[in-house]
Amino acid sequence: MTGKAAIVGAGPSGCYVAQALLKAAPDLEVDLIEALPVPYGLVRYGVAADHQGTKAVARQFARVFERQGARFYGNVTVGRDISLEALRGAYDAVVLAAGLSGDRRLGVPGDDLAGIYGAGGLTRALYDHPDAMALPDLGRFPLIIGNGNVAVDLLRLLAKHPQELEGSDLGVAASQWLGASQIESLAIVGRAPAADAKFDPVMIKELAKLGHVKIRVVNAAPDAGDKTSEVLAALDGTGQGPRRITFRFGLTPVAVLGDGHVQAVRFAGADGAEDIACSSVLTAIGFEPAPGALPRAEAPGLYAVGWFQRGPRGTIPENRADALALADRILADLSPDTAKQGRAVLAGLAGVVDYEGWCRIDAAELAAAAEGRARAKIQSRPEMLAIATGK
Amino acid sequence: MKITILYGTETGNAEMLAEDIQAALEDDHEVDCRNLSAMSPADFDAGQFYLMVCSTYGDGELPASAKPFAEAMAAEAPDLSDIRFAVFGLGDSEYDETFNHGPKRLADLMQARGAVQIGERVAHDASGSDMAEDVALPWAEAVIAEAGA
Repeated sequence: MTGKAAIVGAGPSGCYVAQALLKAAPDLEVDLIEALPVPYGLVRYGVAADHQGTKAVARQFARVFERQGARFYGNVTVGRDISLEALRGAYDAVVLAAGLSGDRRLGVPGDDLAGIYGAGGLTRALYDHPDAMALPDLGRFPLIIGNGNVAVDLLRLLAKHPQELEGSDLGVAASQWLGASQIESLAIVGRAPAADAKFDPVMIKELAKLGHVKIRVVNAAPDAGDKTSEVLAALDGTGQGPRRITFRFGLTPVAVLGDGHVQAVRFAGADGAEDIACSSVLTAIGFEPAPGALPRAEAPGLYAVGWFQRGPRGTIPENRADALALADRILADLSPDTAKQGRAVLAGLAGVVDYEGWCRIDAAELAAAAEGRARAKIQSRPEMLAIATGK
Repeated sequence: MKITILYGTETGNAEMLAEDIQAALEDDHEVDCRNLSAMSPADFDAGQFYLMVCSTYGDGELPASAKPFAEAMAAEAPDLSDIRFAVFGLGDSEYDETFNHGPKRLADLMQARGAVQIGERVAHDASGSDMAEDVALPWAEAVIAEAGA
């Protein structure tokens, strides 16, 4: 089968769609258009630096370009460098796989105080994303709000001793920042009871390996047959380290308190209101489209996939399943129009990073890896572009 | 030798490795490669040597594509005493407590039905420095030699 497909976003969902399309129909023209100069999205900037095994899927994605014939158009922002309409005019199918980069806010009074950071923003800062804020001072006792894997990733990273980051790809600046951390205690608070927390049990079990913490899980009564509450209960009392971690459940934030800067969060729980003092607040309560994001509605020849389509739920396997199903749907719908110009529509764009350009960035990052690190990411966009073009 | 590679996957890593093994063996053998999700216990053929490639997901569970096969094996309880197989695991030692439990479950399922395991279960560690195919290809050659002896 012939035909032309453009996928907007070269993160895991977009790469899996490309992989499945080309596996079923190797003669398709499949292009991945990415706003950053580098591919792989959350595999690079979201999967935790100390979960290198999870990042191994990037090898599959490399093959999509190297063996399956997909092309990479990095440093191209749809809606700025080229319009969505132009893409739809040039390709038989356009897939929006742009992810969700905005942090959902608490939506309570005081949620705009200084010292409140979204998990996405903080994660980008930790993992050297080109558009990241500077790493903030979280103070001695940060409070994490959220009960999903994103929250527990942040908790684990912040709780780790520098020696526990051996083999990760955490960068020099973030490593120094963590090494200089003044954090004495970390609280992690969820709205739901423990049995309804969204953590994967395996992520909770992993916390038992932390060497420098002492973990308390308040009201850790296991629900028979519920794995998450069982592993949480088993975690209670773990460790004899200097940094205290406290899990709390069944508390709904109602206000952030502070004079200019956050000082406490007021929660409503079964026993009434409770103020938990904190030096900063990290929110990990979901993601939403960034301002100015692409429209989410599907139309003939226009599809959406992954978090962009379904919301911020599911890890890599679930998004793969979603992507494979979408690829089937696209192939069933596809009626190639030979008048469509395909990738020629991108030919006039300046500053495009192709797959070879990314390979040069990748090689430079691997070569620059510090002792005990898997790579040293290049954070600056101009530097990426200079390496990609060999200038 | 007639070889069928069966893979259980959730992220696609085991599928990619299964295809690599197929490509490496194709010159010397007749090789078929199939997702466990498309394998019924009734499909086993004593004329084939089965190479199984399987990951681990969640808390030591089988990957999604192997689960329907495991259910069918339990429901149908086939006699596989004339079937020979070998298992290669993909795992991540970050999760040491459940490291390679998926492939172990798969081997147990086969052995419980009388199938004969050839060679040792070998595992690749995603958090290690080796490429999966660099570990899996010598394993495949070794178990094929053993099965042919």
